[in-house]
Amino acid sequence: MNSRPVLKIENLRTFFYSKGKRAFVRSVDGVNLRIGKGETLGIVGESGSGKSVTALSIMGLVPGEPGVIIGKIGLKTDNIQKNLLQDLRDYVKINMSTGRIMEVYKDNVGWQKNVDRVMQGIRGTEIAMIFQNPKLALNPFIPIGKQITESIRINTPIKKRSQARERAMYWLAKVKMDSPRLRYYNNPYGLSGGMCQRAMIAMALSSDPSLLIADEPTTGLDATIQSKIVDLLADLKSSVGVTTMLISHDINVIKALSDNVAVMYGGTLLEHGPVGIILSAEHQAKHPYTAALLESIPREKHIREKGYLQAIKGDVLDTINIPLGCRFYSRCDKVTEKIQEKCDNHEPDLREISSGHSLRCWLYYE
Amino acid sequence: MAESILEVENLRKYYLQPRGLFSPFKTEKRIIPAVDDVSFYIKKNETMGLVGETGCGKTTIGRSILKLTPVTSGRVIFNGTDITHLTPSEFRPYRRQMQMIFQDLDAALNPKMRIKSILTEALTVHHKLSEAEINHRIEELLEKVNLKKSKLSSFSGELSGGEKRRVGIARSLAVGARFLVADEPTSALDVSIQAQVVNLLKDLQKNLGLSYLFISHDLRIVELLSHKVAVMYLGRIVEMGLAGRIANAPRHPYTRILWSSLLKKKSQEATQVPSDQHDGRWGVFDFERSYSGCRFAPRCPVYEAKGNPAICSDPANAPKLSDIGNGHKVSCHFPLE
Repeated sequence: MNSRPVLKIENLRTFFYSKGKRAFVRSVDGVNLRIGKGETLGIVGESGSGKSVTALSIMGLVPGEPGVIIGKIGLKTDNIQKNLLQDLRDYVKINMSTGRIMEVYKDNVGWQKNVDRVMQGIRGTEIAMIFQNPKLALNPFIPIGKQITESIRINTPIKKRSQARERAMYWLAKVKMDSPRLRYYNNPYGLSGGMCQRAMIAMALSSDPSLLIADEPTTGLDATIQSKIVDLLADLKSSVGVTTMLISHDINVIKALSDNVAVMYGGTLLEHGPVGIILSAEHQAKHPYTAALLESIPREKHIREKGYLQAIKGDVLDTINIPLGCRFYSRCDKVTEKIQEKCDNHEPDLREISSGHSLRCWLYYE
Repeated sequence: MAESILEVENLRKYYLQPRGLFSPFKTEKRIIPAVDDVSFYIKKNETMGLVGETGCGKTTIGRSILKLTPVTSGRVIFNGTDITHLTPSEFRPYRRQMQMIFQDLDAALNPKMRIKSILTEALTVHHKLSEAEINHRIEELLEKVNLKKSKLSSFSGELSGGEKRRVGIARSLAVGARFLVADEPTSALDVSIQAQVVNLLKDLQKNLGLSYLFISHDLRIVELLSHKVAVMYLGRIVEMGLAGRIANAPRHPYTRILWSSLLKKKSQEATQVPSDQHDGRWGVFDFERSYSGCRFAPRCPVYEAKGNPAICSDPANAPKLSDIGNGHKVSCHFPLE
């Protein structure tokens, strides 16, 4: 954590207006994060806890009309220092004490234009993203090599076609695509899911980004291919050393690749700290949600005894009606009578309980 | 030995791939053997796990058993009756007893129907029931799968992944199924929800005496739920036996690779990643590749270690699934010790 942060997110809130329910879905609700240079930050949480929306907010991909986004996202790299976020405050009326949005002015097209202007020269160049479904993210009608070449010519100083092609071949080899010179001319439909994901990674890294956002890079791949992609990402991490924000609901993937971990639930961070503390089964002082997530992974013991798994009761928090107290209260099984009243009525703040390890739970506060 | 509820004998399913616009007029056609000579049986109240990589024919087996796709040859025997060549009307009473839990529930549940109508439709398609009976049965079903009654008026789009999965299971149970083909029921679910679904499947098996064919590529879940496991590679079963034996003492090189990729992931350190010499060949398997003899040979570490023995690539000598004791079957010329 000593290195200076590449990305610093302060109090990010991203809401979506649901017309049917006439209320805001508070997908991301007050997130503070910093990613140091060369560090890999893993974000875990169930689906619907706001992981992907955080990533989209950073990339400026939240649509202006139903989406509302406030806070600060600062990017500081070797080439550029910029506040990525055009605060929506000019375009909506917000009650700043509660963060509640009172009114959205109809004209927030200007905001969208602003976002696009700010993100120019950053999307793809400074921040690259690997998407969840590589087959959908790649153009099915253009050979993958050509797509990478195109991305290189747009996003890097290399403008000559032949040079860019050499560069694309280099990156295809770097992500361990077999026979890159042949695969260069393959269309995405001719490749397996794992190979498409490799091509996506090659494309993302080819512009030499300062920050790589990997949104569920291994979901939907087979177990064998999954471990290959994890191997590849770990390999690239040591050889290329790119700062990465890794989003996944697979705790094993996060464990294998991250330095720091943030656990998200219901739009906020519940816990944040080094991977050794948060995701190790031995370390006792952890948030009940993290503990429950770790418990629900099938372990040797369950398999041997063919026993039941430890499920977390209930479902993911509905981010429209956010409770007054702790967001995890209704599913928490570690509530004691002493703190029950607090848990129900007051939301705990993110406090540091040991160096670099902070969490949001009344259980650990005196 | 308990009676077997389902027997599959020499099941084959070949797909014909058209070649070009005028393919109907051509005599030469490309055949894709999605399932090639597969035999197994499932006992009552037992779970059989079917594992393998994408495209190895797991789902095709599930679909052929339920007659959702016609088979090329072979027999499927359900409860002592050969159902392979029954007409649709003759098959109806059996359809009631065997159901499928689909992989993608966003596609399997009608987005424009409320949950109650979905369940009502499933109940009334095979039985004539009065309004009161329907309500009673739905209540029973909800209790079985642990779903809140308030969700009945929702649309499927308003439910979470776990709830949708429960509706899918409830719908299969509504017709009184005793045998379920569960096609990747836990993929694309979070670990917490996955645990709920796994527990539910276990509970239902205990209380209702269901039998499952559990198709998945999540090896841990398969090992946890199944009594028997069959490992498939390119349309063939390469190893079959009790779950514990397959996981802990695999004899086929492919099984060992599958399970070791899991172990590696478990104990992996971020900094130390063991290199794999087979990287190039990994993931480049498909039915289009020409092979002779053992299908796994091009990827097989044993084949390489033994210096490419001729028997492995001899087309006349394809390895057969042979018993090596305790019902553990393996199809390999050089089974591991």
